[in-house]
Amino acid sequence: MRVNSNMVPNILADLQQSQSSLNTYLQEVSTGKSVAVPSDNPIASAQMVQNTIETANVDQYSQNVTSVLSTVQSAGSALSSVVNSLTRAVSLGTEGANGTNSSANLQTLAQDVQGILTSVVAQANTSVEGNYIFGGTASTTTPYTADASSPSGYTYNGNSGSNSVAVGDSLSVQVNIPGSQIFSNASNNVLTSLANLVSALQSGNSSSISSATTALNSTIGYVSQQQEFYSNAESRLNAQETVLQQDTVTLSTQATNLIGVNEATAATELSQAETANSATLAAAAKVLPTTLLNYLSAPS
Amino acid sequence: MIAVSVKTRTVEAGEHLQLLRSLAAELEKAMQAIAQNDIDALEKSVAHQQEISIRLCSMAECLREAGPAPLPSASDSIDPDLMAEIREANGELQDLNLRYSLLLKHSSRSIALMASLFSSYRGEFQEAPGIRLKQQTWSCQV
Amino acid sequence: MGSLTTSLLIGVQALEASQAALTATSNNIANSNTPGYTREEAQFSESPLTVQNSAVAGGGVMLNGIESVRDELLNLQIQQQTSQQSSADTVSSSLQSVQTLFASNGSDIASAFSSLSSSLAALSANPTDSSTQQSVLTAGQNLAQAFNSTANGLTTSQSAADQQVTQTVAQINSLTKQIAQLNTQLSSTVMSQQNGGTVEDQRDQLVQQLSTLTGISVSQSSDGEVITTANGSPLVMGGQSYNLQTTTGANGFQQVLDANGNNITSNIQGGQLGGAIQVRDQIVPGLLTSLNTLASQFATAFNTAQKAGFDSTGAAGQAFFTVPANGAASGISVALTSGSQVAISSDGSAGSNGNVANLSAALTNALPSGQTPANTYANLVYQVGSAVSNASAQSTSLGQSILQLTNQQSSVSGVNIDEETTNLIRYQTAYEAAARVVSTIQALSTVTLDMGSTQSY
Repeated sequence: MRVNSNMVPNILADLQQSQSSLNTYLQEVSTGKSVAVPSDNPIASAQMVQNTIETANVDQYSQNVTSVLSTVQSAGSALSSVVNSLTRAVSLGTEGANGTNSSANLQTLAQDVQGILTSVVAQANTSVEGNYIFGGTASTTTPYTADASSPSGYTYNGNSGSNSVAVGDSLSVQVNIPGSQIFSNASNNVLTSLANLVSALQSGNSSSISSATTALNSTIGYVSQQQEFYSNAESRLNAQETVLQQDTVTLSTQATNLIGVNEATAATELSQAETANSATLAAAAKVLPTTLLNYLSAPS
Repeated sequence: MIAVSVKTRTVEAGEHLQLLRSLAAELEKAMQAIAQNDIDALEKSVAHQQEISIRLCSMAECLREAGPAPLPSASDSIDPDLMAEIREANGELQDLNLRYSLLLKHSSRSIALMASLFSSYRGEFQEAPGIRLKQQTWSCQV
Repeated sequence: MGSLTTSLLIGVQALEASQAALTATSNNIANSNTPGYTREEAQFSESPLTVQNSAVAGGGVMLNGIESVRDELLNLQIQQQTSQQSSADTVSSSLQSVQTLFASNGSDIASAFSSLSSSLAALSANPTDSSTQQSVLTAGQNLAQAFNSTANGLTTSQSAADQQVTQTVAQINSLTKQIAQLNTQLSSTVMSQQNGGTVEDQRDQLVQQLSTLTGISVSQSSDGEVITTANGSPLVMGGQSYNLQTTTGANGFQQVLDANGNNITSNIQGGQLGGAIQVRDQIVPGLLTSLNTLASQFATAFNTAQKAGFDSTGAAGQAFFTVPANGAASGISVALTSGSQVAISSDGSAGSNGNVANLSAALTNALPSGQTPANTYANLVYQVGSAVSNASAQSTSLGQSILQLTNQQSSVSGVNIDEETTNLIRYQTAYEAAARVVSTIQALSTVTLDMGSTQSY
């Protein structure tokens, strides 16, 4: 009979198989991964490419939500405070229009309203982490600076751009309204209205104080409307945060399904493989001559 | 009042898992039998394989159809750990199946060659002019 | 029985050639038990076999002639399958180092795409932050580097396969020389059965070894044993051996020439040589081409997105990547030198993030080749992984098949023809049933996996 020198006797084939299984289960238990290289599971490995990217994205989107929320909340509370300021200015104006004030009183009132104008401009120039939030997309430029030639005494240096920030694979949320729309809008110019009230109070003319106060009053509603944009944005962002949390769980489960190891199963399989391997080795020792046993100890 | 007790999907899935593992074990046995040239063991194993795969098919279809149940309830879903085990058992079975189909392919070819050898054997021998000992030539129509 | 060499005048290739004929013939066997079917019955059990120079036994008992022919046929198949297994093993081990390039290890292409994608998302929320801008630049550099190492790893494996070609050819030549010498010994004297057997066994061992190096075809001629490569180039003719040669080809790799100077590189099949050539000339080049296309198309898309916008200084966006026309993956590098050059802005204003969406879209839009960058890469991962696992599965199943053939060989003495043919029928029947089980199991996979996702809603 011809001897096939490449023939691996049955018992050696069994041993190789047994050892190989043992190594596989050892690795699974120690790494927690049943797929270490693509050939372990080609389809799962391919699907994991997308999962890896998605997981990193979802993580980042969550961080984006957090940072944008803080900007949006800052804007909202700035506008809140502006509404309060405008309300107080209106009551000062109402007081000034009642005709009972001395000229000294009126000057004091004018100064108070001027103070309010300054503080509203300060709100308009709010910056979060070095970026002005009411300058449109010209976020490195101070939105409002003093300008004697302007009716309100201030000029707008920003632009009318707005940014939308990615908070989901197909979801971007607009995160800002340009300051020019809020504070120096043509039909509801907050800054000019305040400046006009100051002038009216300085002039002492009751009817001009009265009409300046009325004009100022209508900007309150306008600013509140603008503020709604930011509270809506906040709601959308909070809702998206919930979605992202769900996505994280889904992706993590998918990853485990694709390449992860079920711990209980892996432990059982390892234990069984160890038992089987011992049995095979014992059987081999009885069957194989010493020379062939040397084959086993040779590096493979 | 409904008196019939229906197996939960988890219980059925558990049975499904056992069948997957049994089938995998049978494929190993069959491949061993082929390698050992043990036709009896092979036939026995293939019979078991047929039995198990029929049961698996009907079970899997049932489990799938049970999906859109009229009332959503937690007990109708399959335990996720169990599902993980099923996925793993399925993966192993598919790997074994690939090897099984390759072995069947190689071995069938050998069997077909041997079969053609025997069917063409006409028992005609000629003594060829030759260098060595009685060299016999035999031609086989394949 | 070892001293009688019967010959099959058909090479292994011819045996393979007509599958239809094989099927028809094996159907004859399958039908032999059908009532009314008499032709084969007559042949096997009734007709006395006329034989010269060999002992005739009664019908049904295996004769020396068929026994050794059967042995020869088994031997040829073992040789052929050994070549195939050896080739599969070579492919599998060559690709092991290649596939680790595609495994998820933090510095692979998938991880790099992932951090580029998430750093762009961060930039969307913080377009003016210089460290966020820098992280996009860094992510781009990591991606370029991942392409570089993957491509370099592939060309390294080609070099290794190329070296293996040279070494294997040298080993082949050494073996054929020894085989030819033994053939001369065998033919020079009339050997006693004993001695002839030993030398012949030695020679057969060497032929077996040769079959692991390359696919061969063995036959007998009036001048003695003839060994050719699977595609017919001469290796040994009786006492004469013919060397294969290697010569450097236009692409820098070793070409294999036969003794007549013909370039047989692309015709070599089986054995380590066949496997190495397959890896070097087909598998790895395919992967490299796909990788280069991906690098080139992605870089182009990303550069286009850059140029559509402005950076935070208001300057028009420049190309992000430099990518050569040839060897895109090994040569791709980042052209920008500072994070401030990342084109965030859509209108030139410092705080606009309007162009970031374009940069992100370069990652999520389909490339000209039809898929998104991530999916294109995922397909590559799948190709590499399945090439290795298929080669492994081939090797294991061939091992078991060879074991079966070897076991059949060891039971060769005293085999009964009727019993043999009955077994063949049983095998074929069992295999048909098994084939149905195989396709059932494949179909079961989708159904099984769907079980978990079909919830009760």
